[in-house]
Amino acid sequence: MAMPLLVSVVDDDESVRESLPDLLRELGFAARAFSSAQEFLASESAGNTRCLILDVAMPGMSGPDLQRELALRRQEIPIVFITAQPDDALRPRLLASGAVECLFKPFSDMALCEALHTALRLR
Amino acid sequence: MCLPSTVGASSSHDDAHSNPGMENDLSRILDDLPALVWTALPDGDVDFVNQRWCDYTGLTLDAARALGWQTTIHPVHRPELAERWRSSQASGQPVEAEVPLRRFDGEYRWFLVRSCPLAGASTQLLKWSVMATDNHDKRSDEAVCARWWLLSSGREAHFRAICDGIPSLISLVTPAGEVEIVNRHVLEYFDVTPESLKGQTTTDTLHMDDLPKVMAAWQGSVEAGVPYQVEARRRRADGVYCWFHMHGFPLRDVQGHIVYWFLLERNVDERKRAVALLAGEKHVLEMVATGVALTKVLDALCISSDATAEECSSSSVLLLDRTRTSVGYVAGPGLPSSYTRSLEGRAVESGEGPCVLAASLKTQVIVSDIQSDPRWQSGDWQALALAHGLRSCCCSPIFSLTGELLGVFTIYRREVGSPTPFHQALIEQFTHIASIAIERTRSEEALRRSEAFLAEAQHLSSTGSFSWRVATGEVTWSEEAYRIFELAPALPVTLELLSTRIHPEDWLAFKQQVERSRRDGRDVEFEFRLQLPNHSVKFLRVISHRSRYESGDLEYAGAIQDLTQRRLAEDAVGKLRSELARVARITSLGALTASIAHEVNQPLSGIFTNAGTCLRMLNSDPANIDGARETARRTIRDARRASDVIMRLRALFGKKSGTMELLDLNEATREVIALSLSELQRSGVALLTQLTESLPRVRGDRVQLQQVIMNLVLNALEAMRGVDDRPRQLVIRTEPDEKDHVRLTVEDSGVGFEPQGVDRLFDAFYTTKSAGMGIGLFVSRSIIENHQGRLWAVPNEGAGATFSFSIPRARDGVTGSDKPDAIPRPAVTDAMHALRRS
Repeated sequence: MAMPLLVSVVDDDESVRESLPDLLRELGFAARAFSSAQEFLASESAGNTRCLILDVAMPGMSGPDLQRELALRRQEIPIVFITAQPDDALRPRLLASGAVECLFKPFSDMALCEALHTALRLR
Repeated sequence: MCLPSTVGASSSHDDAHSNPGMENDLSRILDDLPALVWTALPDGDVDFVNQRWCDYTGLTLDAARALGWQTTIHPVHRPELAERWRSSQASGQPVEAEVPLRRFDGEYRWFLVRSCPLAGASTQLLKWSVMATDNHDKRSDEAVCARWWLLSSGREAHFRAICDGIPSLISLVTPAGEVEIVNRHVLEYFDVTPESLKGQTTTDTLHMDDLPKVMAAWQGSVEAGVPYQVEARRRRADGVYCWFHMHGFPLRDVQGHIVYWFLLERNVDERKRAVALLAGEKHVLEMVATGVALTKVLDALCISSDATAEECSSSSVLLLDRTRTSVGYVAGPGLPSSYTRSLEGRAVESGEGPCVLAASLKTQVIVSDIQSDPRWQSGDWQALALAHGLRSCCCSPIFSLTGELLGVFTIYRREVGSPTPFHQALIEQFTHIASIAIERTRSEEALRRSEAFLAEAQHLSSTGSFSWRVATGEVTWSEEAYRIFELAPALPVTLELLSTRIHPEDWLAFKQQVERSRRDGRDVEFEFRLQLPNHSVKFLRVISHRSRYESGDLEYAGAIQDLTQRRLAEDAVGKLRSELARVARITSLGALTASIAHEVNQPLSGIFTNAGTCLRMLNSDPANIDGARETARRTIRDARRASDVIMRLRALFGKKSGTMELLDLNEATREVIALSLSELQRSGVALLTQLTESLPRVRGDRVQLQQVIMNLVLNALEAMRGVDDRPRQLVIRTEPDEKDHVRLTVEDSGVGFEPQGVDRLFDAFYTTKSAGMGIGLFVSRSIIENHQGRLWAVPNEGAGATFSFSIPRARDGVTGSDKPDAIPRPAVTDAMHALRRS
């Protein structure tokens, strides 16, 4: 049996870290949650992650900061941004920078599914 | 020595009688003279008259004898002449007087009467010889005098006695130019004996510079055989040159050949100097008057002085600098510049050199021999002066009218010697002129400087000045005033001219102000606008002060200030300020909105995800009941979290405390209006305030209530922003309301709102995107509700909307006025802080 693909979640909001991994596992992925970008970078998962679900606004290193850092490290992980900021201008900017999708909280599980499939088809 | 024809005179007992032929010649010549000639005995009896005398007076010699020649003299002048005659008789000096003589027809003409006492061997007076020349037309005919002299000097003694009486140099010169006979004055002037003059020519003592001129005149005269006149300088025995008016004319024998040249030379030195001095003075003063630079004026003054003074002297003016502690400019065009330059910059205190010493001591310093004077043995001045050929000098301080030292006037000479009285007179004259020149130039400079300062200041401050003499209508403008009005300088200022510049809307008011000033004579201050030909507008303020002119006429002196730049700057600042306020308002409200959305979206997101997961867990086979239970629990927790956010938000606007105080709503309103005036003006909104006097006071938080009023005003402006088809009008009204309430109303003529939308206006999160209007009204309403009042809005019958709030008036006996009551404070920063604190 093939190993499930690892999807990592980076969000400073605890309720997201609690809820999203369960959903991801229900969708058939392996899931790990990190409360900050630094924690993710320091973990072993950084190399195995097939898709990254990344919060935009976080204290310290922000989502886009992590995106840039990964690009510098040549770790091309597809990224699905999630954000609670209702900013219409944000999405096109993030997509232009190479993100697969940007989901505004609250988002449905279907929307997340579609984004994940898009991300993994790219690989 | 010989004369062409010798003379005796008269009919009396004279040696000349021994030669009747000579007497005839003499009589003929005397008769030819264009002068009246007679001789008189000491007792006054006339013993000879020439034919012209007879012709002029209409009297014969016998008649003259019988009547006394004095009767021809004008009676008024007789006593004076008689007196001079008597004193002359005692001293033996000749008498010269201008008196009117009576003509045959009874008319009097002015004559120059010269009379010489003729002394015999015993020095006793023999007789008077008198000659009268007609100078009625101010014509003095020296030739007449000279010929008379010649003819009346038949013999040496006789000749000398007469011509010595004439105060001029008189010489008889051969056509070859050799001196034959001279009078006493010649011998004295040149300090020579008659013998030493023999064979000398008259040109020997002439000034080199004048020689060509004299020779030319002489030669021209010889060729044509006519008299000549020329002015030239002759060297005196002491080496000094004096100016002479030389008059030469030929003497002919009976055949008409020129046998002698008769030279009459009158000393005109003083006149010449006076004229030169006057001309120099005039020239210098003209330069001062026309504003020529002081250095040039002083140079000209020195040149003038050099021209007036005698040879081998050069003058200089040493000018002190502004601090009066050192030498500034040294003028001295007749001196080598290497000398004058070396004096410049010397400290007055040092006393180096006599000029500087004269400045230091403020007194005249005379150095009669630079070489031997012990005072200058040390220092460099002596060597310097000697190297430049200077031998003596006289340095005199130049004082101002008030006695201030201005500089030093110095006359240097290339000869050893002390200043003569002539020099001293010259020095006195020139220090005086120099003083005038320096003072005038300095005060002109000061005036020019102060005028320049004034013009500059006017330009910098955009302020023009004017004067207006009401009686004559005479208006004088400064240069800047013309510039402000953009009119050509020096155009006569008239109301007609002003009407081409003053803004048509202000013209009537302007004319009324002018008329009022003319009538009342009060000080005036008002503002008006200009509309220039290019349609640009200027804002001006005029301030004028009444003053009475010497004549008692009313005169205004005033200033016109161009406020345009300031007004534009104020407008720009006001615009910027309200723009900033607007941006800040939008930004902070936007930030608040985003923050609230973020805080709510987070738990909502959890709810969504958990609910989705829960369903998937229940639908899986087998159903993951434990997982579903856990996710359901998390769903409830997140929902509570969302609810908490809303609770906190409500708490934020519901329970914060502020300061309650007794306040006048009118006053609070006026303060808000004052703050919004520039915004109102800029938005082109007409404001109408209807604040009811003696409005009951209210109890509340002044700042919060003012925020509400401001919010209503800004909303009204916002609503009128796009309105162009009707006046943008804002009415702010205060009035007592029912049930002991006080009401404030803000009515606009803006876009208004649909009646059915009125409730949504006050929704907290309604219209978050359009300048935060919703949150503003929401906050406003909560403030008013916390003042136990209410805030509502109604659409107007016509255009626009009316927002009102009504709050209870303060009751008597309300306690706790010192204690802050609990009252909400919906400040944005606090709100964000409170949300974040979750």
